[in-house]
Amino acid sequence: MYKLTRIFALPVFSMQKNYTTYSPEETKAVAAELASFLKGGEEIALVGDLGAGKTTFVQGLAQALGSQAKVKSPTFTLMNIYPVVHPTIKQIAHLDYYRLQETGASDLGLDEYKTPDTVIVSEWPIDVAPGKNKLFVQLTGGKNPNERSITIER
Amino acid sequence: MRIFGIESSCDETAMALVVGEGERLTVEKSLVASQMELHKKYGGVVPEVAARKHVETIIPMLREIVPRDGAEIDAIAVTYGPGLVPALRVGVELARTLSLLWNKPLVEVNHLEGHIYSNWLSGTAATFPALVLIVSGGHTEIVHMKKHGVYTLIGETRDDASGEAFDKVAKILGLGYPGGPIVSKMALEGDATRFDLPRPMLEAKNFDFSFSGLKTAVLYSWNGLSKRERARKQTVKDMAAGFQEAVVGVLVGKMTKAIEQTKPKAVMIAGGVAANAALRNKLGEVLKKQFPTITYIVPELKYTGDNAAMIAAAGYFRAVQKDFVDPSNVQADPNLRLASF
Repeated sequence: MYKLTRIFALPVFSMQKNYTTYSPEETKAVAAELASFLKGGEEIALVGDLGAGKTTFVQGLAQALGSQAKVKSPTFTLMNIYPVVHPTIKQIAHLDYYRLQETGASDLGLDEYKTPDTVIVSEWPIDVAPGKNKLFVQLTGGKNPNERSITIER
Repeated sequence: MRIFGIESSCDETAMALVVGEGERLTVEKSLVASQMELHKKYGGVVPEVAARKHVETIIPMLREIVPRDGAEIDAIAVTYGPGLVPALRVGVELARTLSLLWNKPLVEVNHLEGHIYSNWLSGTAATFPALVLIVSGGHTEIVHMKKHGVYTLIGETRDDASGEAFDKVAKILGLGYPGGPIVSKMALEGDATRFDLPRPMLEAKNFDFSFSGLKTAVLYSWNGLSKRERARKQTVKDMAAGFQEAVVGVLVGKMTKAIEQTKPKAVMIAGGVAANAALRNKLGEVLKKQFPTITYIVPELKYTGDNAAMIAAAGYFRAVQKDFVDPSNVQADPNLRLASF
């Protein structure tokens, strides 16, 4: 099982974009920009500390894909599904490995969701290696409580 | 009527036998896997979410709870959602199989409905309409209950559940997991007025909650302190107290408004955070002062977390109404909702 710390030793992503936002709305706008490039089948590793704005980012993503669902933290439920309105994407599978850092998730049947019409967004991901259809989003809090740095790699 | 309840929606495998007579329920047996010897080796800190763990547990647990032929059981009740499909499936398949094998009617129960019915195990008779505050690691909702099995969702969290906020604040304060009990223990000796924390959505004209921003406010307030200050035990206690008061303030504030609007005859709380003494007491005080005619019901502490006695309890009232399902049609539903707006 990959530990999060191993990412630095893995091959780097080929494209990188950096943003700085100053409100939850701006963070959602960055997510919406990313959403406009999605076609379905992508796996997004969403990395960031507690309070970094991961849930906000997913809310922006879901809204941009036309979802009416309330995006909630899946820390306890482990997985939430949000149906979306989009020509090629049927749903977002919002996963959270926060409670699974020790055990891993190999028994959870989450591979069922790796389909061409689903976008998988994983918080506290265990596997963050680059690959086909894999994206890496990192959110970092600044000194100012509303400031966030966002890095998107693919 | 004796109901056999099965629960496997997330971390816990649980089974229970509950006998119902009219409105009165008695728990004969209630087993929860993490409390059993079998699971002690895993330490209980790591969530036993893997379906494999449910599979390993169900047979020994079944053997401990019912004789092989199930003769004394009148109906089987099983959680069919919401939850994780691979976990839910274990309980659902067991229930279907036993229903066919023993030729006993089957009732499907929503996990959140189960939490609500933990209040029927408290010995206090409920009256309708009732207003229920469900607060747990995965859920925070206000549900209006017109009568048995008829629910309307009044409000819910828009991001983090209240129990999750407790766990994540415990993590920020370096208090470990699970966060609920330790944060409330620390809060007992803390000064809740020291840190100025927000009461998210308290003034909003709806019954929804948001706890993600409160968690972030704690984080920034905490990170703004000097290292020396953070190392002081009293600082941790003060932050825990301030946080808990903010959560309880919002929960009770929203419930108060919901009570004013819906005028229930009974008010209940349910779910893991219903074990929080500050919440139980504060809501009790408000009811006593402002709504003295409303019956206030809180579940026994042992039935606040996930268990199967509550599933059997909910199943009993469905069985009384002959709300049975064909075992071949029961399917786990991960996104099952209790009620809509």
